[in-house]
Amino acid sequence: MKFLCIFLITLIAPFSSLMGQDNSLESQTKAGSPFSQSKFVPDISMIVDFSWVSRDMNNNVFSELHMPGLTRHHNEESQDHSSMNSRKGFNLNYGEISFYSIVDPYFDLFAVLHVAEEHAGLEEAYITTRKLPYGFQLKAGKFLSSFGRLNEQHTHYLDFAERPLVLNAFFGEEGLNELGARMTWVAPTDIYLMLGTEILMGENKASFGTSGFHDVNRIVNIHESENPGLIVGYARSSFDIEEAVVLFGLSYAHGKTRMDDDYSAAAGEGTAIDASTDILCGDLTVKYIIDAIQYISFQSEYIYRLTDGSLYSRDTSFTVERYSLEKKQSGFYSQLIAKLGLRWRAGVRYDLLNLNDVFIGSTSQNFPDNPDRYSAMVEYLPTEFSRLRLQLNHDRSKYLQTSSGLIYKPYTELILQLNIAIGAHGAHSF
Amino acid sequence: MKLICFIITCFLYVQIAASERIQVVATYPYIADIVEKIGTDRVRVIPLARGDYNPHVIIPKPSYISKLRRADLLVINGAQLEIGWLPPILKQANNGNIQPGEKGFLDLSTYIHLIDVPANVSREQGDVHPEGNPHFHLNPDNIPLIAKAITDKLCEIEPESNSLFQSNFVEFNKTWKQKMKEWEEKMKPMKGVKVVEYHKNYDYFLQKFGLIIAQTVEPLPGIPPTTKHIEHVEKVIEHEKIRFILQDVYNPQDASEYLAKKLGIKMIIFPHDIGSVKEVEGIISLYDEMVRRITQ
Repeated sequence: MKFLCIFLITLIAPFSSLMGQDNSLESQTKAGSPFSQSKFVPDISMIVDFSWVSRDMNNNVFSELHMPGLTRHHNEESQDHSSMNSRKGFNLNYGEISFYSIVDPYFDLFAVLHVAEEHAGLEEAYITTRKLPYGFQLKAGKFLSSFGRLNEQHTHYLDFAERPLVLNAFFGEEGLNELGARMTWVAPTDIYLMLGTEILMGENKASFGTSGFHDVNRIVNIHESENPGLIVGYARSSFDIEEAVVLFGLSYAHGKTRMDDDYSAAAGEGTAIDASTDILCGDLTVKYIIDAIQYISFQSEYIYRLTDGSLYSRDTSFTVERYSLEKKQSGFYSQLIAKLGLRWRAGVRYDLLNLNDVFIGSTSQNFPDNPDRYSAMVEYLPTEFSRLRLQLNHDRSKYLQTSSGLIYKPYTELILQLNIAIGAHGAHSF
Repeated sequence: MKLICFIITCFLYVQIAASERIQVVATYPYIADIVEKIGTDRVRVIPLARGDYNPHVIIPKPSYISKLRRADLLVINGAQLEIGWLPPILKQANNGNIQPGEKGFLDLSTYIHLIDVPANVSREQGDVHPEGNPHFHLNPDNIPLIAKAITDKLCEIEPESNSLFQSNFVEFNKTWKQKMKEWEEKMKPMKGVKVVEYHKNYDYFLQKFGLIIAQTVEPLPGIPPTTKHIEHVEKVIEHEKIRFILQDVYNPQDASEYLAKKLGIKMIIFPHDIGSVKEVEGIISLYDEMVRRITQ
């Protein structure tokens, strides 16, 4: 970990000194540095997100919470990234260092490093083509899938402190972020129409997964999937009615689901899943531009997930049972955001998982119905580079697993979030 | 199947339409008007941003993407005026012909000598433009340079219409020169007059006609005024005996209104692009109206 940090610093240091001392550099170039490449420094930006959190629940109880049948608890889920706003008091949620540059006449490169206090990782790194003919564009590398409306947006651009419950449930806190390739096509029509398809590895642990598994006796032996196991397709269209913009889309994902939950372990109990998962999403955004400063924007996404396959369970004496597994789950979020003034925005959001039917064999798991959450926020934006947000969440979706069963644990939290951007950060799309 | 037929029909339709005229997308209405005057019936021009909105912060509507997708030529103001909204939609348009550096891309700022180029840039100074003040179309001397750049680009794209574009340019230039005399005549008494503007929007216009910018109502570019700064502006207005404040149509007007009312001076709502006020329907009437409003 330390190595990564040092690596990062050595990577950034020369750039920052280049950018900071323009004058001396110029004179240096004139005075005889004919090989200077400072003009080719890519656009580099750093985003830092801090928060202060108040919550009517202890940190250790909070970290054990989960949505039954939908998410695991924080401690288990976040091995790479620490959860945002997870502790009471001050949190350093993340740092994000991004690089962008035109590579050559044919490609652009974009890369994002996700940096936390103790570790760093390459969140995205991909190329896009600059001039494929007939309205095509190819993207390849590691990137956030364009499935749905919100998934591909970076955390710092979200309208609330965290992603909606349904996205967290189906794709995890970091979203559907995969290795693969994407092709998009924009129709040459008056009305905006974009079609896209992605072929991805399908390693997302919340819905897919590639890991093979076998018990010690190899009664069940499922190989690791070594080929891209996830395919995504989407269509998006938009039209304007006067100053109202309507944007809507349909997305579909189909992939293999392979999860090993201690099934391959040499001791204890374990389960594993070998299934296929289909996810369908419809999204709608309506933004009404009131004048040069104010707008009001409604946004909603409904996502349905169907998992069908086998669940293998193994007890301590290595007896293996196979059950059919069927999960039908869905949820949505709806939000309304208003830009009220030059520096003020406010919004409300409602999250609901309206379907959570899980059958193992033919036995319904009877998971709790309709977990939901209410959120409200007010933002103050001194400039486009700094943002202060106060958000109130009332969460009624989480449960605590105890020896005597599930305990419902609603909570209320207040988050004061400060998000800062420096350097050359690209503009955002609609 | 129906959808596929629909798509193919649209595609064919667009192909035919495209062969008829050069499809030009202009980021701001003033650019569209000049392209139309030079290209006349050989071009079909679509402006993106509205002239009454803040040119720095345009909402990048997805419908702009479909316009860019079919364009043969994209003409931008440049000098980073579009940096906050154009790059992502230009990327998403999947149109290789109009990307920066390609034949179908024209950045007007590269043909203009920009003023207020900062020696050092820091965001401490607000929303500064490292390449200089981007509102250069408000100096009437720059308009023929813009028209020339557009003429050359159109000739490059459609050489067979060369003579049409050139004669339109000559015609445009002639009209412009006549109007120039008229505006210079009317603006003569304004020479040396000190003014306050809300944002550094009109520096090119004011410098051209010899007016002196005493103060901006904004403390820094893009930063709304504080009570303390308004007090400072008030002192400047009283001390320099300033008679009017130039206020654009898109920024909040309350600070300028307050100052005008309190000090008994005029607040002039000043146009900056076509459509910003109802009298302005083209690049010529933009200047007519600016001259009329400031000399009134």
